[in-house]
Amino acid sequence: FRFKDSLAEDLRSADLVISHAGAGSCLETLEKGKPLIVVINDKLMDNHQLELAKQLHRDGCVLYCNCSTLVETLQSMDLSALKPFPPGQPEKFASFLDKVFGLQ
Amino acid sequence: AGGHTTEILRLLSCLSESYSPRHYVLADSDKMSEAKIRSFEQKRAETFSESQFSLDRIPRSREVRQSWISSVVTTLYSILYSLPLTYKRKPDLILCNGPGTCVPVCLSAFVLGLLRIKRTIIVYVESICRVETLSLSGKILYYFSDYFIVQWPDLKKKYPKSVYLGRIV
Repeated sequence: FRFKDSLAEDLRSADLVISHAGAGSCLETLEKGKPLIVVINDKLMDNHQLELAKQLHRDGCVLYCNCSTLVETLQSMDLSALKPFPPGQPEKFASFLDKVFGLQ
Repeated sequence: AGGHTTEILRLLSCLSESYSPRHYVLADSDKMSEAKIRSFEQKRAETFSESQFSLDRIPRSREVRQSWISSVVTTLYSILYSLPLTYKRKPDLILCNGPGTCVPVCLSAFVLGLLRIKRTIIVYVESICRVETLSLSGKILYYFSDYFIVQWPDLKKKYPKSVYLGRIV
């Protein structure tokens, strides 16, 4: 398929996700607790997209490769070594704003 | 737009009803955010009966990778367009997280503050995608916002006036 409104269904039934480095794709997958391999497109100039993927890799939450090393990564991957991705905490933001406006 | 909308709705998710009414400003070219916002507000109305919100659209200030010179022109146009909107709404708080759309809105509020017409608190939250570098909107609004929030420690080091609360989306 080309575009779906939501990948939630597909994500729910997947055992492994292989994705580009788009932040939405990465975060949605990790939040559902699915193992993720991020494939970097060397030819795309969009460098800032890599920042999140690199950080997630540094934190041990995703596997990381490019198109030519994908097969090798799939063959040698150890998904159990992936660390869980803790959810963000919007309540900290709410608390911060409440302090700014003296609403605490 | 897209990821920005999802992020900002998450930021709004824990806010109390003191943060009401909510005025959403979208780029005229944005097709998908309106549905996400309406869905968010509808859910919110289930818990908070008096939930009020509105939606306004402004011309998109800059296309991805638009040239520098034409960006200045289109952004100036967007600021002029935003002034009457910001004047009408006179927000106490502007919350934004990075799409080009937010720059003219914030700058128009800043101008109204300089003219002593309305003092708006501008809170900018840089996207979670920004780990090492700021977006262009962030680089500009770092100097115009009252509170500039980053979600990764590297950015806090590079931009010491920023606020670091960890990951908040």
